[in-house]
This record gives sequence, structure tokens and C-alpha cells, in this order.
Amino acid sequence: MENSRENEIRQQIDAYVKGQLTEEQIQELWTEFAKNPELLDVLEIEVNVKEIIEREALGSGKATINKLPSWTWHAAAAAVLAIVALVQLFQVNTPTEMNQFVVQNIEPGQLETSDGVRAKDIRITTADSLLNLGFEAIISGNENRALQLFDEVISKYDEEPYGSKAFLNKGIVLYNESEYDEAIEAFKESANRVEDSRMISEKAYWYLGNALINIGELEEARSAVYEAYKLEGIFRKPAFRLLKKLSSDLGNVDYEEFDTEQLD
Amino acid sequence: MDYSKFVDAVLDHDENTITEQVNVITPVLIKFLTVRLDASIHDAQDCAQNTLLIAIEKIREDKITNPDYVINYLFTTAKHEYFKQLSKDREVNYEDLPEHHFDKPDQLSRLLDDEKMNILTRCIEGLKADYRKYIEYWFQNPGYETSIVADYFGISVSNAWTKKHRVINVLKDCFEKKIKL
Repeated sequence: MENSRENEIRQQIDAYVKGQLTEEQIQELWTEFAKNPELLDVLEIEVNVKEIIEREALGSGKATINKLPSWTWHAAAAAVLAIVALVQLFQVNTPTEMNQFVVQNIEPGQLETSDGVRAKDIRITTADSLLNLGFEAIISGNENRALQLFDEVISKYDEEPYGSKAFLNKGIVLYNESEYDEAIEAFKESANRVEDSRMISEKAYWYLGNALINIGELEEARSAVYEAYKLEGIFRKPAFRLLKKLSSDLGNVDYEEFDTEQLD
Repeated sequence: MDYSKFVDAVLDHDENTITEQVNVITPVLIKFLTVRLDASIHDAQDCAQNTLLIAIEKIREDKITNPDYVINYLFTTAKHEYFKQLSKDREVNYEDLPEHHFDKPDQLSRLLDDEKMNILTRCIEGLKADYRKYIEYWFQNPGYETSIVADYFGISVSNAWTKKHRVINVLKDCFEKKIKL
């Protein structure tokens, strides 16, 4: 009896680590931890082991490093010196370039998967698994497979939060492949579908703005970046800088609507 | 942890048992505050200490008689103490407040610890090959139902759970041995 209760609690710990418990279940679990603090040690072990395994999986997805012969470094250094000299020679005071403010490559960490270690009132569904598999495919360098998986989520589980997550992820893959027109469509779909997730909304608008800049649609980009800025999340500062740059390039330098004091 | 023993010790002024019990409860409260409320370690330590002082006082005043209620009381008081601490900080240094993520639901990542991970990495490397493969598969596919994992390894669902618990126990034992070295 005692053993089966402990098994039950350990299954709850597993669900907690995977973000599958409701608030109420989490609080019940903490009551169990208070009764038996050894179970809290199990939780800590699981959280750390999961992190190690995830990091290893990420690491194994990275490109291998090929060592170059030592002479190439001398050649590279000479080339850099030559370039510096040329730049010095032809240097003029140039204004900041737009690409200094635009995201060049979106990190895999920005992809939306199942809800991880966060508590949610939902259980892991097939759609969550497909999103996770898509993430794994990207980490393994298989972007085409990832796109197939995200399309599968869109066609079979087009409900929230899966639709907005799948479109966002699709947009990220396409953005990194410089397929900006398709990325824009995907980010727009994500932004239109999202319900109750400021994070997804913010990412969708921020990357939509960046993609629009890449195809030269600066006015539309400005609106999208402003939507991201208004959400006051993690992209607020870069969005603010980009808005200033866009306003300057578009000949509109009125930033009164932005809260400059908190950002500068 | 037997909370009736704690209540008895408080009522009997048995300082040794109180200290013993407080040493078990304090880390739980600290972790509760850091994980559930994203409190800093320093705040969590202060609040846990205050919470226990308040609880001991209440028990002595006979305001908490049921040991089962003690746990709820501890968590609720810890939470209130932390919010009190936050509002004090807000008065003193409002600028720092946005850095606190008190609106986030749960921060299990606060249990991550570099030293623990170093030791556990060695423990994972020392696992039997099939245990290692199993636990890697388990955590690399957090979205999979246990039945999918069971199916993959050709075992029953109940054996899948047993095997997972066994691997975690091996890692826990290994960790506890290595941390003492």
C-alpha cells in the first residue's frame, strides 16, 4: 500500500517535471514533499537529470568543428589587417545600418514546444509531441522534417495553442532559410490565431516585423514591431531600438508614444 | 516527517527535537519559495525562518492543534511572508522589482545546480548501457505517454515506470555517495 502510494507520487513528480500538473496537483505534491522531504530530493535529481540529457541532446545536434591547418590563421590575420586598412582608407561617417537592428538568425530556443516545466492545466497531447519532435528535428539539422511535423500539427490539430505554436515554429524555420515571404505568412497566421499567450504573440509580431524588414516592407514592419513593443515583454528593448531606426528611416522621428525613460 | 512530533516538541519545549524538525522543514520551505514564487535564496531563507518562528508561536498559543493543518499553515505563512518581503523591497527600491518574476507560475529550473549536474553527469556516464539508453529516451521525449516508451522498449507500462524509478534511484544513490566524497 505504502509502496503503491510512493509510486503514485513519483509518477506525479515525473508529470511535474514535464509540466503536466495543474496548480492544485502541484500544491498537493508540495504537501507530500513536506511530509516526506526525501521525495523533494527525487524531484531535484529528476530536474537536473532532465536538464543534463536535454543539454547533451542539444550539444549532439551541433555541427562538428573541423580544425584548419595553422597557416590558415596567419593568412586570415593578414587578410583582416588588409581589410582594416582598406576600411580606414575609405571610411566615411555612415549612419547605422538597418541590419544592425534586425535578427539575423533565430535561435532554436525561440521555438514553441509543449509547455516544459511550467505548470499548465493541460496534459501532453499528440500535438505537443509533434511540436517536440519538430524541435528535435531542428536541433538535429533536419529542417525539412521539422516543417513536415509543424504542417501536420496545422492540418490535424489546428486549435489553440497548437496552431499558433506550429505556425510560429514554421515561420522561424523559414526565416532562418531566408524564405521571408513564407515566413511572413506563417508569423501572421500565428499572431492571428494566438489566444492567451503573450509570449507567442510577442514572438510572432517581433519576428514578423523582422521578416518584413528583410523584404523592404518598412511601414508594415513598423506596425508589427510596435505590436511586439506594446506587449512589454522580452523583445521590448530591441523593438524600441528597431522602432527608432525605422521611424528615422521612414522620416518619422516622433517617438513620443514610446516610453523612452525606462529603456535608455 | 511527523508533524504531530513537531507539535508535541513545541508544546513540551523540547528544544532538541524542535531543532531537529526545523532542520528538516526549513529546506522544504526554502525550495517551496524559490520554485513556487521565484524568491531569491536570501529572501527564501529569511521568510522560511520567520515562518517557523510564527508557526511555533501559534502552536504554543494553541491556535494550531491539528498536525495535519501545520503543513498548510507553513506554506500559507511562507507565501505571506514572502509577499510582505516583496512589498517592503518595493518601498525601498522600486526599480529592482521588474526583475522579479513573481507572475510566473513555476520555476523548477531554480532547482538546477551546476555542482549537482557535474556529479550527476558522472553518475549518468557510469550507468549500465541499457539504463542510460532508457533514461535518455525518457527525458528526450517528455511528450511521450509512458505506453509509447514501454512499447519502444518492449515492456509493460507498469514495468516502464518501475524501470524509470529504478534508474532515478540508482542516480540518487550515486549522487549521494559522490557528494560525500
